[in-house]
Amino acid sequence: MIGLGIESTAHTFSCAVIEKKGKSGKILSDIRKIYRPPEGEGIHPREASRHHIENSSTVLSDCLKESKITIKDLDLVSYAGGPGLGPCLRVGAVVARSLASYYKIPIYPVNHAIGHIELGKLLTGAKNPLVLLVSGGHTMLLAFLNKQWRVFGETLDITLGQLLDQFGRSLGFASPCGKNIEQLAQTSSKYTPLPYSVKGNDVSFSGLLSATKSIVSKSKADACFSLQETAFAMISEAVERALSFTGKKELMIVGGVAANKRLSEMLKDVCKRHGARFFVVPLKFAGDCGSQIAWTGILESQVKKGVLLQNTFVTQSWRLDSVKIDY
Amino acid sequence: MKLIKKGAEADIYVTEWQNSDAILKIRKSKNYRNPILDKNLRKQRTIKESQTIMEVKSFGIPAPLVYFVNLEKSSILMQRIPGKPIHDLPDSKVITLAKQMGNLVGMLHQNGIMHGDLTTSNFIFFQNKVYVIDFGLSQKTIKPEDHAVDLRLIKEILNSAHAKIMEKAWKNFLTGYRSVVGTARYLKIIKLVSEIESRGRYATVV
Repeated sequence: MIGLGIESTAHTFSCAVIEKKGKSGKILSDIRKIYRPPEGEGIHPREASRHHIENSSTVLSDCLKESKITIKDLDLVSYAGGPGLGPCLRVGAVVARSLASYYKIPIYPVNHAIGHIELGKLLTGAKNPLVLLVSGGHTMLLAFLNKQWRVFGETLDITLGQLLDQFGRSLGFASPCGKNIEQLAQTSSKYTPLPYSVKGNDVSFSGLLSATKSIVSKSKADACFSLQETAFAMISEAVERALSFTGKKELMIVGGVAANKRLSEMLKDVCKRHGARFFVVPLKFAGDCGSQIAWTGILESQVKKGVLLQNTFVTQSWRLDSVKIDY
Repeated sequence: MKLIKKGAEADIYVTEWQNSDAILKIRKSKNYRNPILDKNLRKQRTIKESQTIMEVKSFGIPAPLVYFVNLEKSSILMQRIPGKPIHDLPDSKVITLAKQMGNLVGMLHQNGIMHGDLTTSNFIFFQNKVYVIDFGLSQKTIKPEDHAVDLRLIKEILNSAHAKIMEKAWKNFLTGYRSVVGTARYLKIIKLVSEIESRGRYATVV
């Protein structure tokens, strides 16, 4: 079975083809074009969607070329139905709908966040993990129970990705800024105490963001270092709580911030303490990509028929714990 | 000394103190954490926990007795409550005890204390009584918003760890809570809980 996935929730427009044989999936191609806002600014939804429209046909044809298949070989097409930026989501949906209606291919809207988790499971081989989803759109701790992903902890305000991006932008970096902050943090080891806010299994970052901005004038590097140390320690504590509460023996970290080495290092230590195995999604597939959509679409197609064209929605706010999972 | 639980925050040992069973709770240093941050957190929480336990006992919340506090080692020696966490009890029992949990949380709030880590593992059922433990994240506060954060947390836990019985348990919990804090306060807090939820990521805004 061969599926095409189209991702366009935020800054990335990506198409990917995955072939499923038995239980395993093979990524035949995964092509991306990423919208880069000017330095010091965030994603402008209209500009991002324009970028996606302009690049959609090249990305799609490159993706098919690399996978060495034609559209006629596709058994299904899936697209990210949400959550994400409305104008961006619509681009992916339009491309998917056009293919589906012209070539009569079954179509599946897919939850972007579930995509991160399912692709993570495929690539790391984790069986029944506690999932830490950390990206620009999510900061959540999840475990699977009763056909649904259940939230054991999450951010009460902004996400870890937003924290890093908004702080990074105030320093003049362009989003996503995680990498810049990580590099700058490596040059310092001077810790300035910052607000540490863990509420049970939940975390809150907004106070930390303001406080970090206020210490920047002394040293940018120290601020980056202290921000990472504090924010990641908060996440690690929430993870520890969730591990000990759920008794899970695996931890999987997915989403864009999974690329951060310091965070991985801290979580590895957490896992060691709790005798849990640690899985991190390969760097190339940590951020948004078509593969996460393609693979989840394929899984959906095992238990469901394609959606009628008039029901191919996009939803900016689509919580992953509202999705029933039958595969 | 026998290790019985490697918790998120601390390691729990069973030991003895003056011929009675005791729990030694040690907040161990964590390698992954920056040393300054680590030291601050462990010290603050040890103080907070021992102070709050003594305070809540004074207005009748069943909680372990504190025997000894060692700030150097961030450890607390306290009475052992040999019951079972509500988390591990059968569903039907969780539903009935939810009301009592609500009662206890109501009492804490009435006396200006936010627990800060309300999970079903932090209530222990022993000899027909429910004990409250783990006050490391507690705060002295009468702000309605803080109390609402407490309720939201236990709601989230019921929703995830006790999904099958969530509705019944949550209803009982609220009945218990309401009977202590009174209807006016209850309505105010409940409204704030939905407000906090609606602030969450991608929440369905009602």
